[in-house]
Amino acid sequence: MSTLNKPASRTTMRRSAKTAATGESGPPKRPRKSASGTASSPALRADRSPLRTVGIVVLWLIVALSIVMLLWMLMQAFRDTRSILSDPWGLPTSLAPDNFVRAWTVGDFATATFNSVITTGVSSLLTVALAAPAAYYLSRVAGRFTQGLTMYFILGLGIPAQVILIPLFVMLNQVYLTDSLIGLNLVYIGVSMPFTVFLLTAFFRSLPLEMEEAAALDGASALRTFVRITLPLAKGGILTAFVLEVISHWNETLLALTLIQSTEKYTLPVALISFVQQQTYSGADWGGLFAGLCIVVLPMLIIYIWLGRRLTEGLTLGMGK
Amino acid sequence: MSEVDANAAVDTVLLADGAKPAKAARREAGSSIDRQRKKLLIPFVGPAFILYTILFVVPSLAAVWISFHSWSGSGPMEFVGGENYVRVFKDPLFLKSFGNTLLLLFVVGIAIFVLAFAMSLVLRDMAGRKIVRSVIFFPHLINALVFGVLAGFIFNPGGIVNTLLGPLGVKEPPAWLAQENIFPLIMVTLVATTTGYYTTILMAGVDRIPPYYYEDCALAGATAFQRLRYVILPLTWDVFGTCAVLWTISSVKIFEIIWVFGGSSGAGIPPTQSWTTAVYTYVTAFSGQSTPSYGAATASAVISLALVSVLVVVLRRAMRRDAVEF
Repeated sequence: MSTLNKPASRTTMRRSAKTAATGESGPPKRPRKSASGTASSPALRADRSPLRTVGIVVLWLIVALSIVMLLWMLMQAFRDTRSILSDPWGLPTSLAPDNFVRAWTVGDFATATFNSVITTGVSSLLTVALAAPAAYYLSRVAGRFTQGLTMYFILGLGIPAQVILIPLFVMLNQVYLTDSLIGLNLVYIGVSMPFTVFLLTAFFRSLPLEMEEAAALDGASALRTFVRITLPLAKGGILTAFVLEVISHWNETLLALTLIQSTEKYTLPVALISFVQQQTYSGADWGGLFAGLCIVVLPMLIIYIWLGRRLTEGLTLGMGK
Repeated sequence: MSEVDANAAVDTVLLADGAKPAKAARREAGSSIDRQRKKLLIPFVGPAFILYTILFVVPSLAAVWISFHSWSGSGPMEFVGGENYVRVFKDPLFLKSFGNTLLLLFVVGIAIFVLAFAMSLVLRDMAGRKIVRSVIFFPHLINALVFGVLAGFIFNPGGIVNTLLGPLGVKEPPAWLAQENIFPLIMVTLVATTTGYYTTILMAGVDRIPPYYYEDCALAGATAFQRLRYVILPLTWDVFGTCAVLWTISSVKIFEIIWVFGGSSGAGIPPTQSWTTAVYTYVTAFSGQSTPSYGAATASAVISLALVSVLVVVLRRAMRRDAVEF
């Protein structure tokens, strides 16, 4: 049995598999010729073990549970704290957005949402605008220097955020950029560089070069080629990178918690934390809290429904190739 | 340290980029557009390079520097050599935090991997796999704060779990949110919310196995286990490696969910039983409860970085096998 793992037998295995797939007649007659080569061939459906059936049932249960949880959270946001606590499974009696109004006005979620939208939008846009040309250069110019540079950018992928927390705070404090959304934006841009450059370099490499070469032959400069040929071709990848940054900046908590102190500059996650902490003193406002959670989650849900497959591909890019 | 990281990064690049990193470049070497492109170095790479260096690389190096000093954030820094490291390793709070980080890394990591792999095997050819896949991926896009807050509600004394357990005859449900139970509960929550993401990645690996291998297995009469052992595992091995590296890097930063899990204790700081090194770093530097000790806080952060680096290198070594071409 262990011989099956050896290279030699693997090649024979592959050869026989290929003949099987192309449907050519080999020495052993294939039993059911009609269903060969397609994904639903009998060979692939052969295992109907009880274990597998259990697995399928469990998976669908997980799916149902996830959807129920999400809907449940939305529902609770329309109920008041007392009825939530007395019957956690109850349905809202009305769709009056009292909790949202209260969270919006009392809990400072309005300012926080505004800050989050601005910060997320600006920093993601600038991140991609800076990373795209860099990634283009790194993907198109060969040589040891470029390799070293690529490495330099990618190094940051392995550094946990808590490492830079204290030095960043000290440095920004010296130039009066702590407790400032401008400072936070700058930090987000710097911290996002490794992943964005990594993703876009891989993406630019996957683009065909023929059109760029044709443009060069027609006398277009390298800059013009980049702007007129490569960028339009790379629209999809750049949008993916942008949306992935939007998601990560929207959810970023540790840096914002450290660098922002005044309430009117809170981003959503920081406002949510402060809302949770206030409850210790002012009594639980679960209705308002659920409304706050919805404000954090819903934009992500909308983006996911809008661009779902693209995001999964972006986040798993390279893993499956 | 940096060399170690660089090695890991090279491997990541090679792994991610697969077969042809240099082909594109070689084809056009020496052409005039190539020469022109080289002139773009400063305008194209410059801005990204400067921001990244100032806001990421310099702070990382500064962290190592600060960790060798005694400093409270203001006033003079005093060089103390490795004293901060000795100090944190004598601090029971740090040891608890470090132990928790290791628990997240290994126990939660292994649970996630076993479950994710099992799920990707079931998902491989089931009906409705796309729906399942998109639903289980979604938690990855949600701030972990949300799960922390929700768990607080679900496991509240009068919360969902207890109202469900009541009719089942459980008269005295465990005190879910008692200090000693919080961390295990956090671990379970993390497994529940993270497995979907890794399943999605593993599926990308399982999906690229050409169907004729499975047919061949069926023709050769291989059992389900043999097919797993000799076809699926060897052909997805590199994806496993990538996932392991990803989990190592992301588990060490876990902070948000612990910060708010189960609501908050009075002081706005989670109970020490559930701290991780990230929480330790933050509290030691910024809690405002005692004199901030930037030296000890950065020492804790640098230890996490060392942990990541060592593990990534070990993982790359351990997972290195002859790439199976197919």
